[in-house]
Amino acid sequence: MLEALFPSDDFRLLAIIVALPLLGAVVNGVFGKRLGREAATLMGLGTIFLSFCLCVATFFRLAELQEGERAARLVWHGWQWLPLSPYRGGPGDQIWLEFALSVDALSGAMSLVVTGVGFLIHLYSSKYMQEDPGFTRFFCYLNLFIFSMLVLILGDSLPVLFVGWEGVGLCSYLLIGFWYGEEKNAAAGKKAFITNRIGDFGLLVAMGLLMFYVGALDWKGLEAGAENLLQPQQIWPFGSHIPFFDKLGSFGEWVNTPRAVTAATLVGLALFLGCAGKSAQIPLYVWLPDAMAGPTPVSALIHAATMVTAGVYLVCRMSFVFVMSPAAMFTVALIGALTALFAAMIAFAQNDIKKVLAYSTVSQLGYMFLGVGVGAFTAGFFHVVTHAFFKACLFLGAGSVIHAMHARIHDTDASQDMRNMGGLRKYMPYTFWTFAVSWAAIVGFPLTSGFFSKDEILLKAFTSGIASPLPDGKVGIGAREIEIWQWPPWAGYLLYGLGFVTAVCTAFYMTRLFIGIFFGEFRGWKIVKGYKAAHGHDDHHDHGSHHAELGLAIQGPKPHESPWQMWVPLAVLATLAGVGGFLNAHLFHLHPFDSWLEPVFADAAKHVKLVEGAEGYVYPLLGLAVLAFAGGVGAAYYVYVQQRGEPAQRFTEALPGLHRAAEQKFLVDELYEETAIGSVDSLADVAVVADKWVVDGIIARFTAFVVGAAGSVLRFLQNGRVQAYSLSMVVGVALIGWMLLAPRAEARTRVDDEKGVYSVTAAPGLGYSYRWDANGDGEWDTKDYAAANEISLTLEVAQKRTVSFEVKNALGQTAMGEVPLERPKPDRSGAFEPAPAPPDGAPPPDADAEQNAERALKIIENLPGIKQPPAPPASGEPQ
Amino acid sequence: MIPIGNVIEHYVLLASVIFVLGAVGFLVRRNALVQLMSVELMLNAVNLALVAFNRQHSSDMNGQMVSFFVIAVAAAEAAVGLAIVLSFYRLKSSVFSDEADSLRH
Amino acid sequence: MSVGDVFFLVAAVVALVGAVWTIASQSPIRSALGLLTTIVGIAALFLRLNAQFLAAIQLIVYAGAVVVLFVFVIMLLGPDAGAVSKRPARARGSRVASAALVFVLAVLLVVSLVGAQPSPTKFRAVSPEYGSVEAVGQLLFSRGLVPFELSTALLIVAAIGAIAVARARHTPKRVKAGESPTRRLFHGPLHPRDAGRPLPKEGLL
Repeated sequence: MLEALFPSDDFRLLAIIVALPLLGAVVNGVFGKRLGREAATLMGLGTIFLSFCLCVATFFRLAELQEGERAARLVWHGWQWLPLSPYRGGPGDQIWLEFALSVDALSGAMSLVVTGVGFLIHLYSSKYMQEDPGFTRFFCYLNLFIFSMLVLILGDSLPVLFVGWEGVGLCSYLLIGFWYGEEKNAAAGKKAFITNRIGDFGLLVAMGLLMFYVGALDWKGLEAGAENLLQPQQIWPFGSHIPFFDKLGSFGEWVNTPRAVTAATLVGLALFLGCAGKSAQIPLYVWLPDAMAGPTPVSALIHAATMVTAGVYLVCRMSFVFVMSPAAMFTVALIGALTALFAAMIAFAQNDIKKVLAYSTVSQLGYMFLGVGVGAFTAGFFHVVTHAFFKACLFLGAGSVIHAMHARIHDTDASQDMRNMGGLRKYMPYTFWTFAVSWAAIVGFPLTSGFFSKDEILLKAFTSGIASPLPDGKVGIGAREIEIWQWPPWAGYLLYGLGFVTAVCTAFYMTRLFIGIFFGEFRGWKIVKGYKAAHGHDDHHDHGSHHAELGLAIQGPKPHESPWQMWVPLAVLATLAGVGGFLNAHLFHLHPFDSWLEPVFADAAKHVKLVEGAEGYVYPLLGLAVLAFAGGVGAAYYVYVQQRGEPAQRFTEALPGLHRAAEQKFLVDELYEETAIGSVDSLADVAVVADKWVVDGIIARFTAFVVGAAGSVLRFLQNGRVQAYSLSMVVGVALIGWMLLAPRAEARTRVDDEKGVYSVTAAPGLGYSYRWDANGDGEWDTKDYAAANEISLTLEVAQKRTVSFEVKNALGQTAMGEVPLERPKPDRSGAFEPAPAPPDGAPPPDADAEQNAERALKIIENLPGIKQPPAPPASGEPQ
Repeated sequence: MIPIGNVIEHYVLLASVIFVLGAVGFLVRRNALVQLMSVELMLNAVNLALVAFNRQHSSDMNGQMVSFFVIAVAAAEAAVGLAIVLSFYRLKSSVFSDEADSLRH
Repeated sequence: MSVGDVFFLVAAVVALVGAVWTIASQSPIRSALGLLTTIVGIAALFLRLNAQFLAAIQLIVYAGAVVVLFVFVIMLLGPDAGAVSKRPARARGSRVASAALVFVLAVLLVVSLVGAQPSPTKFRAVSPEYGSVEAVGQLLFSRGLVPFELSTALLIVAAIGAIAVARARHTPKRVKAGESPTRRLFHGPLHPRDAGRPLPKEGLL
């Protein structure tokens, strides 16, 4: 039935999947207030759930179609959207970009994750946000987010994907700043939005480059034309040479040496800039930790499970482009590995549980990029899926903890500080157990989902790499030939080393978090106000003032378990986090996920090379992975449980600089503040001068002054007396009346050059009478005025005459008018050529008054409604 | 002998006189009610002229039709105008139009 | 003098006298009666001009509705309607000036009219249907249909507008400063996590 309703070449189900969350967003956004909370919840949850069900149906339909190697794709062709080429020639000549949606194995899996996890988080939010005054607004944004995310995933071309890409960015901004009343939250939203714009710039550039080199932007066209990217492109110097340096001798020569890379590298790096922005990689990761200012379900859905993985999705989607350039792929892998390690280092020193999870997210995203960067697209994408499960569960668990803590401590920062927690496993059993499972998954406890996905990435980081896209490693012809950059042999060791250290760190800091929240004694009976990570250095200065608050016991309820709407999603996600790994357990030769995605990455896989004897590394590296897990967890257990945190204390005292640096996030924000933001600020300072003096001074103030001055003059007319107003009306009527009564001497002339008959008609008017001088002798024909306003007369050839007339109105005033007339000589053929009509309003070319008058007559003659003179006889008069 | 009441001039003259009387009344009187009545006088004068000219050019009855619409508009104008007078009276306890000076500069 | 001439003269005099009465009398109720007189006179002239339908309409609408409306309002206002203004008359100069200007214009107009066509032509005879209810009705519902329908809309709007303008106003309840939606938008409480203040259940946030 599904097939009959939705044929695979016009798969309208996709439009429905996408439209449902949009419907929810519109209804909740426009009518949410009136519908009330229950209806808004139903609308929000219902549309997402329906969308999820349809995604499942689509998934099965795809599974039916996909056989073996062949990649199945279901497309819905929406409408012609953007003209891609400049318009030339006929209407069929233009290439249009369709607004089309399509689904294949990759996007099918991703859409399942988005709608599935999205639905669970919607369910969770319905309780978490229950007391919030902006409840319906929240659901509107959340549904809008799911809509945008689905457009991103299901878009059939880069521009459509970009629409979704921007949409999720907008929703992220709106939701981070959801409690915009606090400046901190609004600032975090702006930071996220602006940082993402830098990435989007890269994506836009990539689209332009692809349009230039490949000439298509949809997946099919890009896949077909990806080979075109293998051409050299000079990137330095711009133009022929750099003007000043060519006079500097050998150094200048070195500067001016042309340098080229392949177009694929350019495109890959530009695309990766977009991915780095959206997926929080170095150097654009700074927004994600701040994004935790939003409500916790938002952190779980957008900033952990779905939106931030869009970058990984894009790399997977464009895998056939990325593999063309080993350099770009190495950049992806290296940046990923570095980000993973760097974020893990920062996470060590954070005490805010959401901040720890945020840095852990950045770190895990780094893992994913490490995976896709070495060509293990399936492994990287599998980590996206498992990470969505366990990190969403961790965030929601953290939300549950915060929810409980907040009932006691009515302070946002204090209720998120793990130093105020501890021992919560007694009070919140469901939260504890689900959190435990996801903790096990993220630290790589054997047989959990995280273990399988992380192990696969680490294995591939060591064994896999990108081969040169062309066999001889050279691209271009003749002088433009360049060598394609090749992966160095030590790449595997470097990437694996970074990944391994990160795995140990992850195990350590996640265990620290886990122990800090759930084990030991509950420390929240008495809380320390101002216990903020950011204020660490202040503590040393005013220790005394803090002491006063130390002993303050807080009255309030005990921490309590959350309602079912909150722990059921936790349980579902924890289950998936626990057993989800078996979808791709290569260890047990279970890899349905791998074979499901195989056709999508078939093209890209041709360019991936494995080190020799890769099979042999599986078990040694597995052992190392378990070792990393055991080492990290064991060390954390020793430090925080056995020694009650003393080694950590000693470490902090021994190396205060390092600890403080990590606590303050290695001052990256401050660096950006000083460099990028500072330079923009100084630019703004310059612009403000122009704004103040030119825009404000001349345009705004001067205009206002002129208008104001006119107003203060005209104000005196507004004296509030109705009679004065009516007087002005009467004056106006009087002027019009005078215009009607005053004599005007105007005339129209009808010309018949051939017969020499001319008639002059004077304009009529109220109470007018006329007298004429038709024979041009300077004397009036009659002394008296008469009603006749028209005369006609006959002229000889070449005869000139000036006809005068006088108009008298009823009041006895007169006006005189003259009409010069001349009968022209016929030309050689005897015809009287009608004068060419000049364009409207244009003065005649010659300035001679007589000729003008003559032309005027001719024009009158040519007016419609006036008979043209008949054609003269052919013989004509000889000259 | 010039026939009386059977030529256009007599009607137009009469209409002009009534119109001018209305205009002068509107301009000179301060009582808003009387001013409104003066407006009605002017409208009536115009109607008379219209119908008279229509009688002169009697091939159709467009003038009478337009007069009909003028009467409709006049009725609407009277209703709204009197409502304004009423609400002005509530505001100022007066019907004199020269006391409507709240918007004065 | 024929009967028609007498009819015209009487009607014209009645209309003129009514007009003068309207603008000259001190009491508005007398002005209203003057207006009524003018209206009746003009209705009579309409009859003389073969406009039977319009004559009837003139009486029904003007005499029956408009003048009655005036009388109603005068009654509503009571003695205030005709009271002499307590304040000295203002803008006397502009009133007199504009009236004089109008008068001069009118004289000019009449003079130019008379000067233009010294010999009047008599009205031509018309068929008895001219100006009858049937003929004008036919015209109104064919050529004049759109303006006719528009005029009905105009009357409805005018009636509603008159009600809206003239009805007694209730002073609107002032919104308390803390309750103002804008205020709540910008200064409202943020979240239950925010300092344990009780929150409004519903609100514009």
